Amino acid sequence: MREQRRKDAVWKFLTYSFILVMTVAMMVPLYWMIVAATLPQEEFIQFPPRLYPGTHFFENFAVLHAETEFVVSIWNSVFIAVVYTVLSVLLCSMAGFAFAKYEFRFKEPIFYLILATLVLPIQLLVIPLFLMMSQIGWMDTFRAIILPWLANPIGIFLMRQNMRSIPDALLESARMDGATEFQIFYRIALPAMRSSLAALAIILFLFQWDLFLYPLVILESSANYTIPVALSGLEESRRINYDQIMVASSLAIIPLAILFLVLQKQFVSGILAGSLKE
Amino acid sequence: MARIDITDLVKVYDSGDESIVAVEDLDLGVKDGEFLVLVGPSGCGKSTTLRCIAGLEDVTEGSIHFGDREVTDLRGSERDVAMVFQNYALYPHMTVRQNIGFGLKLSSSLPSAEIAERVESVAEMLGITPLLDDKPKELSGGQQQRVALGRAIVREPAVFLMDEPLSNLDAKLRAEMRTELQELQHDLDVTTVYVTHDQTEAMAMGDRIAVMNDGILQQVGPPEDVYRSPANEFVATFIGSPSINLLTAEVDGTTLSGPAGFTYELSNPEPVEGRSRVRVGVRPEDITLVKGGSNRATVSVVEPMGNENFCYMELGEHELTARIDPTLRPQAGEEVAFAFDESALYLFDVDTGEALKTKTDAVAAGIGTEAR
Repeated sequence: MREQRRKDAVWKFLTYSFILVMTVAMMVPLYWMIVAATLPQEEFIQFPPRLYPGTHFFENFAVLHAETEFVVSIWNSVFIAVVYTVLSVLLCSMAGFAFAKYEFRFKEPIFYLILATLVLPIQLLVIPLFLMMSQIGWMDTFRAIILPWLANPIGIFLMRQNMRSIPDALLESARMDGATEFQIFYRIALPAMRSSLAALAIILFLFQWDLFLYPLVILESSANYTIPVALSGLEESRRINYDQIMVASSLAIIPLAILFLVLQKQFVSGILAGSLKE
Repeated sequence: MARIDITDLVKVYDSGDESIVAVEDLDLGVKDGEFLVLVGPSGCGKSTTLRCIAGLEDVTEGSIHFGDREVTDLRGSERDVAMVFQNYALYPHMTVRQNIGFGLKLSSSLPSAEIAERVESVAEMLGITPLLDDKPKELSGGQQQRVALGRAIVREPAVFLMDEPLSNLDAKLRAEMRTELQELQHDLDVTTVYVTHDQTEAMAMGDRIAVMNDGILQQVGPPEDVYRSPANEFVATFIGSPSINLLTAEVDGTTLSGPAGFTYELSNPEPVEGRSRVRVGVRPEDITLVKGGSNRATVSVVEPMGNENFCYMELGEHELTARIDPTLRPQAGEEVAFAFDESALYLFDVDTGEALKTKTDAVAAGIGTEAR
């Protein structure tokens, strides 16, 4: 009995130590980014590095602001990601609902075809999309950034899996109550999927937020740059402006942090959804 | 309110290259205000029939009328029916109030004040007023059941459809709700089709019961008629608990001789005339243990029920069940003699299972018994 308890305690200690080490390993770059954002460029490259924040943040920010349109880029990124997330969540959940709850011809083949598109890397799609966008005159527009990715296969897959857990009787009951198919979708299915929707929203938001190569090809004027594109512009050919990159990166994580804080509760329960029988 | 007429209903499920006939040539009429119970083993087509009436399934052939109105091709919401599902199917994100009012809000043009009023009065009728602002997950099984009923009642439909609504409740609550549901149906006087696999429930609740097997309607009638005069061996076996005793006997003039030395002398051999073999059935309550007699069986188990004992006996390979007086306690292994009246005897065709003779003993009309 006592032996077992000691064994448990040792295991617990080891487990927590491991988690602690991993957490620190992940937090260090983040911390360093914030510290570096407060240092002048000379101090950034000195050795040993300075490990506590300096006072140069606003100076660095002022330079960044003067030389680039970074604040505009943040707004661009937020705008694109928000519009994309809202539209894509709607589209993916509608497709997922249809695949989970309706019977139609070639349902399975179509679904697997959609899944199969997951193997196509973005790099492969960039050139055909570029050609398409330049032909229809959508170069340097936000809609060219948003539209091609709306039907997201991961999103459709995720929503289909979750929608399947909605009991058919619930939908039939609504049908008997006189609900139209669309009312069944948005008044019964969607509210039942709240946590999955939050998880999906975060995944889609992050996907669009991190998109780099495609916007780099499509967006031409710096007033339209998204954050990753603007950041890359700070790497000049002969000099990398670490101070400004760090300030910009620090600012860029703020919207993400806000999004995650807002959706955190739903996100966690969404990941766990279906793991426990209620 | 409406009568329901189902004519030549066929429902076939096509799944790729094989097709399953769930309901075959069903003809069934439900009278206005009647409580009809569809009963049968699982997979017999009773739920499919209900879903066809509800409009949740397309019918393959045949027609369904509510009164004079043909509803065969109407959507469920256009048929003026309300359905109670086995697992209640309450909307999890809505309060009880919203659950009950949802259908009215969508399908009627009633002003919201009127809807609120009707929800309140239904809740009061069902005794769930204090729960109106709770979510379904905060309710007990019995309370959820009431909300599901409330959702059906509030719409004041022409027809109630219930798909095993009591099967998720524990035994005591089920018995309570059974009575309550009957009273409610009686008060509201709405035509009701009720599906169950539980023959006790069917017997207790139905004005008439319809027994189904393998997609085919076997018999429709008042519970007592179905019990006393089953159309065939399946109905006789399915209705009644414990189940009817059955064995195959050779016919020799007026004598039936079965396994392990079982013999029975018929005073009226007319039903078995011209037959060499016949299926013999006796209800457990009609078997009595006697002092002396030629038919003997070995007691295997006696289950005391308090008010009576179930005595399981072996007659050769066959098992017999008798409901006997609680003061009688035969011991396991003991050999006992048994007897039954000819009026209580059932006879069925060996091949088709069709009934040749059913109970003919008199039913006394008197206090609490309906004269027939």
